[in-house]
Amino acid sequence: MLDLIEIVRDNWVLLLIGQYPYGPLGGIAATLILSVVGILLAFPVSVALALARLSPWAWLRWPVTALVYIVRGVPLLLIILWTYFLLPLVLGQNVSGFATMICTLVLYEASYLSEVVRAGIQALPNGQTEAARSLGHGYVRAMRHIILPQALYNMLPSMLSQFISTIQDTTLGYVINVQELTFAANQINNQLLTKPFQVFFILAITYFVVCFTLTALAHQVERRIARRRLGGGVAPQIIDGVVMPAAQGPAPVGEVS
Amino acid sequence: MIQFSQVNKWYGNYHALNDITAEVKKGEVVVVCGPSGSGKSTLIRTVNRLENIKSGQLLFDGHDVQSRTNTSRELNRLRSRIGFVFQSFNLFPHLSVLENITLSPMRIHGMKRGLAREKAMQLLDRVGLANKAGAYPAQLSGGQQQRVAIARALAMEPPAMLFDEPTSALDPEMVGEVLAVMRGLADEGMTMMCVTHEMNFAREVADRVWFMDAGKILETAAPRDFFNAPQHPRAQRFLSDLRSH
Repeated sequence: MLDLIEIVRDNWVLLLIGQYPYGPLGGIAATLILSVVGILLAFPVSVALALARLSPWAWLRWPVTALVYIVRGVPLLLIILWTYFLLPLVLGQNVSGFATMICTLVLYEASYLSEVVRAGIQALPNGQTEAARSLGHGYVRAMRHIILPQALYNMLPSMLSQFISTIQDTTLGYVINVQELTFAANQINNQLLTKPFQVFFILAITYFVVCFTLTALAHQVERRIARRRLGGGVAPQIIDGVVMPAAQGPAPVGEVS
Repeated sequence: MIQFSQVNKWYGNYHALNDITAEVKKGEVVVVCGPSGSGKSTLIRTVNRLENIKSGQLLFDGHDVQSRTNTSRELNRLRSRIGFVFQSFNLFPHLSVLENITLSPMRIHGMKRGLAREKAMQLLDRVGLANKAGAYPAQLSGGQQQRVAIARALAMEPPAMLFDEPTSALDPEMVGEVLAVMRGLADEGMTMMCVTHEMNFAREVADRVWFMDAGKILETAAPRDFFNAPQHPRAQRFLSDLRSH
């Protein structure tokens, strides 16, 4: 136990921000930046992929479907290695491990998220699209104002859990020398040499705390959405000075006036 | 206003609409009735092309709705001029009542927010729900939701309104409030085509009744004639079945 405290006390800067400002940013900071940037870039890509997969045009649907299936069928580690060796060849110049990792994460997470988005769109009742179209909204407007806001809102918990897996996925950046949290822990281990159990225990705890916090948040979001689906919830609770009872089931709330 | 000529539609081998030729005139209220599965809903859904047809022609206000050469822009424009009310309301649950009504005039007609809200409040007042402007659909009863759906359709100022079984999903005590709104529209001279099982509404409000069975319109008549002296044997049986309940 004392070992743990001692290791954290001596190395907390390294665990937090890596060798910054003397070297590249690392540690938890790098892990979180990788995950956040990765998921933020992956999100619009995933919506585009999902729409392509749902499109009526086979020439668009097929290649995207193939891409998603391939990415989902290959371990992340292999995609990282492929990107690592291919990207410099394609671009004709060196690419940093960090940039490589971002590219890989965007491709990988976007493929997974696109399935979430697709499910979210398909789970909406067909009547929503029909109502939008019969009012005269074209495909783009119907998607933008009616379908996607509902689908993405309903998908928030799944997206948060995808974000949590992304955090865990960043550990693999270690193999291409991305200086994130796992890399920092390994540096510490290499210095101490004799305390691998303690060092990697600290690493595990750190990941757990970050991910557990987010999981708890996801659960809270999920509950809020469930409440709202049943009526009430986020909607204003006081209408015409009358407090609307928070609906307990799908039964509609009757006249209040 | 709405002209069907020799409209045919198939679902696989099933002849869903069989050589339909009929017309809804401007200002006319037509009630389409018939046993379930007779093609009533399919017929009304072809008018704004929620369903395609196999052959024939369908004119709305002189425009060929089902033409294969319609661009999506033309089709959207046509649809925005045809009010459609669904059996299951289909309000947008993520928007408040007011936003449900203002969304389309603002996005499609480019109406300013202030004006759109003002008109929406007038419409809500007309359907008796001005006090629900800020509520969300899930907080309303079925009858209230359907009245909002009617207001939403009216906000586009359509020259004709289509109703696809607007009261079939409602509890009996809420049917009246929706029918009252429809009756008001009819009194103001709105062109209406309604698929409904509410025979009293048909009797009192309709100018003509179309009786359908197995994808065909078997009889068109003024409601008094249709209910007192139906001509087609299938219509006679349908009405006597209704009365025996």
